[in-house]
Amino acid sequence: MTPEQFTTEFELARPQLKSYILRITASIQDTEDIVQDTFIKASNKLESFQGDSSLKTWIFTIASNLAKDNLRAKKRWTADVTDICREKALANPNYFPEIARIQQTSAHAKFEIKEHITFCLTCISKSLPLEQQICMLLKEIHGFKISEIAGILSITEAMVKYYLHTARTKMVDIFEGRCALINKNGTCHQCSELNGIFNPKQQFEEEKNKINFAKKANDPDRQHLLDLRLEIAKNTDPFTSNGHDLQLHHLEHNRKIMENLREKK
Amino acid sequence: MSDFISNGRAVTTRNIFSRETVVRIDILADRGILWALLTNGSDLPRWNSTVISLEGDIRKGEKIRLRSTLDPKRVFKLKVTEFEPESAMIWGAAMGKRVFKLKTLGNGTTNFFMSEKIGGPLFPLFSGMIPPFDESFEQFAKDLKKESELIQNAN
Repeated sequence: MTPEQFTTEFELARPQLKSYILRITASIQDTEDIVQDTFIKASNKLESFQGDSSLKTWIFTIASNLAKDNLRAKKRWTADVTDICREKALANPNYFPEIARIQQTSAHAKFEIKEHITFCLTCISKSLPLEQQICMLLKEIHGFKISEIAGILSITEAMVKYYLHTARTKMVDIFEGRCALINKNGTCHQCSELNGIFNPKQQFEEEKNKINFAKKANDPDRQHLLDLRLEIAKNTDPFTSNGHDLQLHHLEHNRKIMENLREKK
Repeated sequence: MSDFISNGRAVTTRNIFSRETVVRIDILADRGILWALLTNGSDLPRWNSTVISLEGDIRKGEKIRLRSTLDPKRVFKLKVTEFEPESAMIWGAAMGKRVFKLKTLGNGTTNFFMSEKIGGPLFPLFSGMIPPFDESFEQFAKDLKKESELIQNAN
Protein backbone atom coordinates (compact mmCIF):
# COMPACT_ATOMS: atom_id res chain seq x y z
CA MET A 1 0.00 0.00 0.00
CA THR A 2 1.38 3.38 -0.98
CA PRO A 3 1.39 6.31 1.48
CA GLU A 4 -1.15 8.06 -0.73
CA GLN A 5 -3.50 5.06 -0.64
CA PHE A 6 -3.04 4.87 3.10
CA THR A 7 -3.88 8.56 3.54
CA THR A 8 -7.03 8.16 1.45
CA GLU A 9 -8.12 5.11 3.47
CA PHE A 10 -7.31 6.82 6.76
CA GLU A 11 -9.37 9.86 5.86
CA LEU A 12 -12.31 7.58 5.10
CA ALA A 13 -11.99 5.98 8.54
CA ARG A 14 -11.24 9.24 10.38
CA PRO A 15 -14.85 10.29 11.26
CA GLN A 16 -15.62 6.87 12.79
CA LEU A 17 -12.30 6.79 14.56
CA LYS A 18 -12.89 10.23 16.03
CA SER A 19 -16.31 9.35 17.38
CA TYR A 20 -14.92 6.08 18.81
CA ILE A 21 -12.05 7.79 20.61
CA LEU A 22 -14.31 10.58 21.85
CA ARG A 23 -16.64 8.02 23.38
CA ILE A 24 -13.71 6.44 25.18
CA THR A 25 -11.93 9.57 26.36
CA ALA A 26 -14.81 12.08 26.55
CA SER A 27 -12.19 14.68 25.65
CA ILE A 28 -12.17 16.61 22.39
CA GLN A 29 -8.51 17.53 22.74
CA ASP A 30 -7.39 13.99 23.60
CA THR A 31 -9.45 12.70 20.69
CA GLU A 32 -7.77 15.06 18.23
CA ASP A 33 -4.33 14.14 19.63
CA ILE A 34 -4.93 10.39 19.60
CA VAL A 35 -6.36 10.40 16.08
CA GLN A 36 -3.41 12.45 14.84
CA ASP A 37 -0.92 10.23 16.70
CA THR A 38 -2.62 7.21 15.17
CA PHE A 39 -2.12 8.67 11.71
CA ILE A 40 1.57 9.35 12.36
CA LYS A 41 2.22 5.99 14.00
CA ALA A 42 0.39 4.07 11.28
CA SER A 43 2.19 6.05 8.55
CA ASN A 44 5.54 5.24 10.11
CA LYS A 45 4.68 1.56 10.47
CA LEU A 46 2.96 1.18 7.14
CA GLU A 47 5.53 -1.35 5.94
CA SER A 48 4.61 -3.64 8.84
CA PHE A 49 0.95 -3.74 7.75
CA GLN A 50 0.67 -7.20 6.17
CA GLY A 51 -3.01 -7.11 5.33
CA ASP A 52 -3.82 -9.82 7.90
CA SER A 53 -6.72 -7.62 8.95
CA SER A 54 -8.46 -4.78 7.15
CA LEU A 55 -6.68 -1.43 7.28
CA LYS A 56 -9.56 -0.06 9.32
CA THR A 57 -9.07 -2.79 11.95
CA TRP A 58 -5.35 -2.08 12.01
CA ILE A 59 -5.95 1.65 12.48
CA PHE A 60 -8.46 0.99 15.27
CA THR A 61 -5.90 -1.31 16.94
CA ILE A 62 -3.28 1.44 17.03
CA ALA A 63 -5.82 4.02 18.19
CA SER A 64 -7.20 1.70 20.90
CA ASN A 65 -3.72 1.16 22.31
CA LEU A 66 -3.04 4.90 22.35
CA ALA A 67 -6.40 5.53 24.04
CA LYS A 68 -5.68 2.84 26.64
CA ASP A 69 -2.31 4.46 27.39
CA ASN A 70 -4.03 7.83 27.68
CA LEU A 71 -6.58 6.48 30.16
CA ARG A 72 -4.29 4.22 32.16
CA ALA A 73 -3.88 6.63 35.06
CA LYS A 74 -7.45 7.93 34.98
CA LYS A 75 -10.22 6.53 37.11
CA ARG A 76 -13.42 5.26 35.58
CA TRP A 77 -16.57 7.33 36.01
CA THR A 78 -19.48 6.31 38.17
CA ALA A 79 -22.94 5.32 37.00
CA ASP A 80 -24.46 8.38 38.68
CA VAL A 81 -22.32 10.72 36.55
CA THR A 82 -25.32 12.63 35.23
CA ASP A 83 -26.59 13.34 38.77
CA ILE A 84 -23.19 14.56 39.90
CA CYS A 85 -22.70 16.77 36.86
CA ARG A 86 -26.24 18.12 36.96
CA GLU A 87 -25.70 19.37 40.50
CA LYS A 88 -22.39 20.96 39.57
CA ALA A 89 -23.96 22.66 36.56
CA LEU A 90 -26.80 24.08 38.65
CA ALA A 91 -24.29 25.40 41.19
CA ASN A 92 -22.14 27.04 38.50
CA PRO A 93 -23.37 30.56 37.64
CA ASN A 94 -21.45 30.51 34.36
CA TYR A 95 -22.91 27.28 33.06
CA PHE A 96 -26.19 28.48 31.57
CA PRO A 97 -24.82 31.81 30.20
CA GLU A 98 -22.15 29.75 28.45
CA ILE A 99 -24.77 27.46 26.93
CA ALA A 100 -26.81 30.49 25.84
CA ARG A 101 -23.71 31.89 24.16
CA ILE A 102 -23.15 28.62 22.28
CA GLN A 103 -26.75 28.60 21.14
CA GLN A 104 -26.55 32.16 19.90
CA THR A 105 -23.27 31.76 18.05
CA SER A 106 -23.42 28.22 16.68
CA ALA A 107 -25.56 26.76 13.95
CA HIS A 108 -24.99 23.34 15.53
CA ALA A 109 -26.42 23.81 18.99
CA LYS A 110 -29.98 22.61 18.56
CA PHE A 111 -31.06 20.41 21.46
CA GLU A 112 -32.38 17.05 20.29
CA ILE A 113 -33.38 14.29 22.68
CA LYS A 114 -31.74 11.58 20.59
CA GLU A 115 -28.44 13.46 20.76
CA HIS A 116 -28.73 13.75 24.50
CA ILE A 117 -29.40 10.01 24.64
CA THR A 118 -26.17 9.46 22.73
CA PHE A 119 -24.30 11.78 25.08
CA CYS A 120 -25.83 9.99 28.07
CA LEU A 121 -24.75 6.59 26.70
CA THR A 122 -21.20 7.87 26.37
CA CYS A 123 -21.17 9.10 29.97
CA ILE A 124 -22.72 5.95 31.42
CA SER A 125 -20.47 3.65 29.39
CA LYS A 126 -17.47 5.31 31.02
CA SER A 127 -18.51 3.61 34.25
CA LEU A 128 -17.74 0.23 32.70
CA PRO A 129 -14.24 -1.21 32.97
CA LEU A 130 -12.32 0.10 29.94
CA GLU A 131 -12.05 -3.24 28.11
CA GLN A 132 -15.78 -3.79 28.47
CA GLN A 133 -16.55 -0.31 27.17
CA ILE A 134 -14.22 -0.77 24.21
CA CYS A 135 -15.71 -4.16 23.30
CA MET A 136 -19.22 -2.74 23.44
CA LEU A 137 -18.37 0.30 21.31
CA LEU A 138 -16.45 -1.69 18.71
CA LYS A 139 -19.17 -4.29 18.36
CA GLU A 140 -22.39 -2.36 18.81
CA ILE A 141 -21.51 1.07 17.44
CA HIS A 142 -18.74 0.42 14.93
CA GLY A 143 -19.81 -3.00 13.71
CA PHE A 144 -16.59 -4.94 14.24
CA LYS A 145 -16.77 -8.73 14.42
CA ILE A 146 -15.83 -10.63 17.57
CA SER A 147 -12.69 -11.96 15.86
CA GLU A 148 -11.67 -8.44 14.83
CA ILE A 149 -12.18 -7.09 18.34
CA ALA A 150 -10.09 -9.94 19.72
CA GLY A 151 -7.32 -8.84 17.33
CA ILE A 152 -7.67 -5.17 18.23
CA LEU A 153 -7.42 -5.86 21.97
CA SER A 154 -5.04 -8.85 21.74
CA ILE A 155 -7.38 -11.02 23.76
CA THR A 156 -9.24 -14.25 23.03
CA GLU A 157 -12.62 -14.29 21.33
CA ALA A 158 -14.02 -15.91 24.47
CA MET A 159 -12.82 -12.94 26.50
CA VAL A 160 -14.44 -10.53 24.03
CA LYS A 161 -17.71 -12.43 24.39
CA TYR A 162 -17.40 -12.26 28.16
CA TYR A 163 -16.65 -8.51 28.17
CA LEU A 164 -19.50 -7.81 25.77
CA HIS A 165 -21.99 -9.77 27.78
CA THR A 166 -20.88 -8.19 31.05
CA ALA A 167 -20.92 -4.69 29.55
CA ARG A 168 -24.40 -5.15 28.15
CA THR A 169 -25.73 -6.63 31.39
CA LYS A 170 -24.36 -3.71 33.40
CA MET A 171 -25.68 -1.13 30.94
CA VAL A 172 -29.15 -2.70 31.05
CA ASP A 173 -29.09 -2.64 34.86
CA ILE A 174 -27.89 0.95 35.05
CA PHE A 175 -30.48 2.28 32.59
CA GLU A 176 -33.18 0.20 34.24
CA GLY A 177 -32.53 1.90 37.55
CA ARG A 178 -31.92 5.38 36.19
CA CYS A 179 -33.61 6.14 32.90
CA ALA A 180 -37.11 7.57 33.27
CA LEU A 181 -37.66 7.01 29.55
CA ILE A 182 -37.93 3.26 30.13
CA ASN A 183 -38.81 3.05 33.79
CA LYS A 184 -41.38 5.32 35.42
CA ASN A 185 -39.46 4.98 38.68
CA GLY A 186 -36.15 5.87 37.00
CA THR A 187 -34.25 8.58 38.83
CA CYS A 188 -32.90 10.50 35.84
CA HIS A 189 -35.13 12.87 33.88
CA GLN A 190 -32.32 14.94 32.46
CA CYS A 191 -33.34 14.70 28.81
CA SER A 192 -36.87 15.91 29.58
CA GLU A 193 -35.54 18.67 31.86
CA LEU A 194 -33.12 19.92 29.23
CA ASN A 195 -35.69 19.60 26.48
CA GLY A 196 -37.98 21.80 28.58
CA ILE A 197 -35.24 24.42 28.82
CA PHE A 198 -34.09 24.35 25.21
CA ASN A 199 -37.35 23.55 23.45
CA PRO A 200 -40.05 25.00 25.73
CA LYS A 201 -42.73 24.78 23.05
CA GLN A 202 -42.30 21.07 22.52
CA GLN A 203 -44.56 18.52 24.17
CA PHE A 204 -42.15 16.09 25.79
CA GLU A 205 -44.50 13.11 25.64
CA GLU A 206 -44.84 13.63 21.90
CA GLU A 207 -41.08 13.88 21.47
CA LYS A 208 -40.51 10.89 23.70
CA ASN A 209 -42.69 8.76 21.45
CA LYS A 210 -40.31 9.44 18.58
CA ILE A 211 -37.66 7.53 20.52
CA ASN A 212 -38.05 3.87 19.70
CA PHE A 213 -36.87 2.41 23.00
CA ALA A 214 -39.00 4.85 25.02
CA LYS A 215 -42.05 3.89 22.96
CA LYS A 216 -41.32 0.24 23.72
CA ALA A 217 -40.52 0.84 27.39
CA ASN A 218 -42.78 -2.03 28.48
CA ASP A 219 -40.98 -4.57 26.35
CA PRO A 220 -39.83 -7.29 28.78
CA ASP A 221 -36.75 -7.85 26.59
CA ARG A 222 -34.55 -5.20 28.18
CA GLN A 223 -31.57 -6.21 26.05
CA HIS A 224 -33.63 -5.22 23.03
CA LEU A 225 -34.20 -1.78 24.54
CA LEU A 226 -30.44 -1.43 24.92
CA ASP A 227 -30.02 -2.39 21.27
CA LEU A 228 -32.45 0.35 20.28
CA ARG A 229 -30.54 2.82 22.42
CA LEU A 230 -27.25 1.75 20.86
CA GLU A 231 -28.82 2.11 17.43
CA ILE A 232 -29.45 5.79 18.15
CA ALA A 233 -25.81 6.26 19.17
CA LYS A 234 -24.67 4.38 16.09
CA ASN A 235 -26.54 6.82 13.88
CA THR A 236 -25.41 9.94 15.69
CA ASP A 237 -21.94 11.26 14.99
CA PRO A 238 -20.97 13.36 18.02
CA PHE A 239 -18.86 15.66 15.83
CA THR A 240 -21.36 16.37 13.06
CA SER A 241 -24.86 15.98 14.54
CA ASN A 242 -27.30 18.92 14.50
CA GLY A 243 -26.49 19.90 18.05
CA HIS A 244 -22.92 18.71 18.36
CA ASP A 245 -21.55 22.00 19.70
CA LEU A 246 -24.01 21.83 22.58
CA GLN A 247 -23.49 18.14 23.32
CA LEU A 248 -19.69 18.42 23.09
CA HIS A 249 -19.88 21.27 25.58
CA HIS A 250 -21.92 19.06 27.93
CA LEU A 251 -19.38 16.28 27.53
CA GLU A 252 -16.41 18.53 28.24
CA HIS A 253 -18.24 19.83 31.30
CA ASN A 254 -18.89 16.34 32.59
CA ARG A 255 -15.33 15.19 31.92
CA LYS A 256 -13.86 18.11 33.86
CA ILE A 257 -16.23 17.51 36.76
CA MET A 258 -15.50 13.77 36.88
CA GLU A 259 -11.74 14.19 36.57
CA ASN A 260 -11.68 16.82 39.33
CA LEU A 261 -13.87 14.65 41.49
CA ARG A 262 -11.55 11.66 41.03
CA GLU A 263 -8.46 13.76 41.79
CA LYS A 264 -9.98 15.09 45.03
CA LYS A 265 -10.78 11.56 46.16
CA MET B 1 -13.23 -39.20 43.31
CA SER B 2 -12.58 -38.48 39.63
CA ASP B 3 -14.79 -40.99 37.83
CA PHE B 4 -18.28 -39.93 38.69
CA ILE B 5 -20.82 -38.51 36.25
CA SER B 6 -20.67 -34.87 35.16
CA ASN B 7 -24.23 -34.13 36.14
CA GLY B 8 -23.71 -31.18 38.46
CA ARG B 9 -24.39 -33.26 41.59
CA ALA B 10 -21.89 -32.83 44.40
CA VAL B 11 -20.32 -35.83 46.10
CA THR B 12 -18.64 -35.69 49.48
CA THR B 13 -16.29 -38.26 50.98
CA ARG B 14 -15.19 -38.13 54.59
CA ASN B 15 -12.60 -39.70 56.77
CA ILE B 16 -11.32 -38.88 60.23
CA PHE B 17 -8.82 -36.26 59.19
CA SER B 18 -10.34 -34.80 56.03
CA ARG B 19 -13.41 -34.15 53.95
CA GLU B 20 -13.61 -33.65 50.20
CA THR B 21 -16.48 -32.34 48.09
CA VAL B 22 -16.42 -32.59 44.33
CA VAL B 23 -18.72 -31.39 41.58
CA ARG B 24 -18.41 -31.86 37.86
CA ILE B 25 -20.62 -30.60 35.06
CA ASP B 26 -20.58 -30.43 31.25
CA ILE B 27 -21.15 -26.96 29.84
CA LEU B 28 -21.90 -26.06 26.23
CA ALA B 29 -19.48 -23.17 26.01
CA ASP B 30 -15.90 -22.35 25.11
CA ARG B 31 -13.65 -22.92 28.09
CA GLY B 32 -12.26 -19.40 27.62
CA ILE B 33 -15.68 -18.10 28.63
CA LEU B 34 -15.72 -20.26 31.77
CA TRP B 35 -12.21 -19.11 32.58
CA ALA B 36 -13.18 -15.45 32.17
CA LEU B 37 -16.14 -15.93 34.49
CA LEU B 38 -14.09 -17.76 37.12
CA THR B 39 -11.18 -15.32 37.17
CA ASN B 40 -12.86 -11.91 37.04
CA GLY B 41 -13.35 -11.75 40.77
CA SER B 42 -15.33 -8.55 41.19
CA ASP B 43 -17.88 -9.84 38.66
CA LEU B 44 -18.40 -13.18 40.43
CA PRO B 45 -21.25 -12.04 42.69
CA ARG B 46 -23.20 -10.86 39.61
CA TRP B 47 -23.68 -14.35 38.19
CA ASN B 48 -22.70 -16.68 41.03
CA SER B 49 -25.34 -16.80 43.73
CA THR B 50 -22.99 -18.55 46.17
CA VAL B 51 -20.54 -15.63 46.23
CA ILE B 52 -21.37 -12.51 48.22
CA SER B 53 -18.15 -10.69 47.43
CA LEU B 54 -14.66 -11.34 46.22
CA GLU B 55 -11.83 -8.85 46.62
CA GLY B 56 -8.41 -9.12 45.03
CA ASP B 57 -7.03 -10.23 41.69
CA ILE B 58 -7.39 -13.85 40.80
CA ARG B 59 -3.85 -14.39 39.56
CA LYS B 60 -1.01 -16.63 40.67
CA GLY B 61 0.43 -15.60 44.02
CA GLU B 62 -2.33 -13.08 44.76
CA LYS B 63 -4.37 -13.11 47.95
CA ILE B 64 -8.13 -12.95 47.69
CA ARG B 65 -10.86 -12.32 50.24
CA LEU B 66 -14.03 -14.29 49.65
CA ARG B 67 -17.40 -14.01 51.33
CA SER B 68 -19.64 -16.92 50.54
CA THR B 69 -23.25 -17.80 51.31
CA LEU B 70 -21.83 -20.84 53.10
CA ASP B 71 -20.92 -18.57 56.00
CA PRO B 72 -21.87 -14.95 55.19
CA LYS B 73 -20.25 -13.46 58.30
CA ARG B 74 -16.88 -14.96 57.60
CA VAL B 75 -14.22 -13.72 55.18
CA PHE B 76 -12.19 -16.56 53.69
CA LYS B 77 -8.62 -15.44 53.11
CA LEU B 78 -7.22 -17.46 50.25
CA LYS B 79 -4.13 -17.49 48.09
CA VAL B 80 -4.07 -18.34 44.40
CA THR B 81 -1.38 -21.02 44.43
CA GLU B 82 -1.84 -22.45 40.93
CA PHE B 83 -3.02 -20.58 37.86
CA GLU B 84 -2.85 -22.23 34.48
CA PRO B 85 -4.94 -20.12 32.06
CA GLU B 86 -8.08 -21.78 30.74
CA SER B 87 -7.06 -25.03 32.38
CA ALA B 88 -6.66 -25.14 36.15
CA MET B 89 -6.51 -23.03 39.27
CA ILE B 90 -6.09 -23.66 42.99
CA TRP B 91 -7.09 -21.41 45.87
CA GLY B 92 -5.36 -22.42 49.05
CA ALA B 93 -6.13 -21.75 52.72
CA ALA B 94 -4.66 -22.98 55.99
CA MET B 95 -6.79 -26.09 56.23
CA GLY B 96 -7.61 -26.85 52.64
CA LYS B 97 -7.61 -26.06 49.00
CA ARG B 98 -10.19 -25.40 46.27
CA VAL B 99 -9.31 -26.87 42.89
CA PHE B 100 -10.87 -25.76 39.58
CA LYS B 101 -10.24 -27.64 36.35
CA LEU B 102 -11.52 -27.09 32.82
CA LYS B 103 -11.30 -29.64 30.05
CA THR B 104 -12.43 -29.34 26.44
CA LEU B 105 -14.52 -32.34 25.45
CA GLY B 106 -15.23 -31.49 21.82
CA ASN B 107 -18.57 -30.49 20.24
CA GLY B 108 -18.20 -27.15 21.96
CA THR B 109 -18.49 -28.68 25.40
CA THR B 110 -16.27 -27.94 28.38
CA ASN B 111 -16.12 -30.06 31.48
CA PHE B 112 -15.97 -28.06 34.70
CA PHE B 113 -14.55 -29.73 37.78
CA MET B 114 -14.38 -28.20 41.24
CA SER B 115 -13.25 -29.82 44.46
CA GLU B 116 -12.45 -28.70 47.95
CA LYS B 117 -10.52 -30.77 50.38
CA ILE B 118 -10.21 -29.66 53.95
CA GLY B 119 -8.31 -31.50 56.58
CA GLY B 120 -5.33 -31.90 58.84
CA PRO B 121 -4.48 -33.22 62.30
CA LEU B 122 -6.90 -30.81 63.97
CA PHE B 123 -9.74 -31.45 61.54
CA PRO B 124 -11.68 -33.73 63.91
CA LEU B 125 -11.94 -30.85 66.37
CA PHE B 126 -13.43 -28.46 63.83
CA SER B 127 -15.31 -30.71 61.45
CA GLY B 128 -18.62 -30.19 63.21
CA MET B 129 -18.37 -26.42 62.71
CA ILE B 130 -17.80 -26.59 58.96
CA PRO B 131 -21.06 -26.59 57.01
CA PRO B 132 -21.61 -29.10 54.19
CA PHE B 133 -20.54 -27.82 50.78
CA ASP B 134 -22.72 -30.00 48.57
CA GLU B 135 -25.59 -27.61 47.98
CA SER B 136 -23.31 -24.64 47.46
CA PHE B 137 -21.13 -26.58 44.99
CA GLU B 138 -24.14 -27.68 43.01
CA GLN B 139 -25.44 -24.12 42.86
CA PHE B 140 -21.98 -22.84 41.82
CA ALA B 141 -21.86 -25.34 38.94
CA LYS B 142 -25.44 -24.57 37.93
CA ASP B 143 -24.82 -20.81 37.88
CA LEU B 144 -21.60 -21.24 35.92
CA LYS B 145 -23.35 -23.40 33.34
CA LYS B 146 -26.23 -20.95 32.97
CA GLU B 147 -24.03 -17.86 32.58
CA SER B 148 -21.46 -19.52 30.30
CA GLU B 149 -24.08 -20.87 27.94
CA LEU B 150 -25.85 -17.51 27.91
CA ILE B 151 -22.62 -15.78 26.85
CA GLN B 152 -21.80 -18.49 24.33
CA ASN B 153 -25.16 -18.06 22.66
CA ALA B 154 -25.41 -14.28 22.96
CA ASN B 155 -22.84 -13.30 20.35
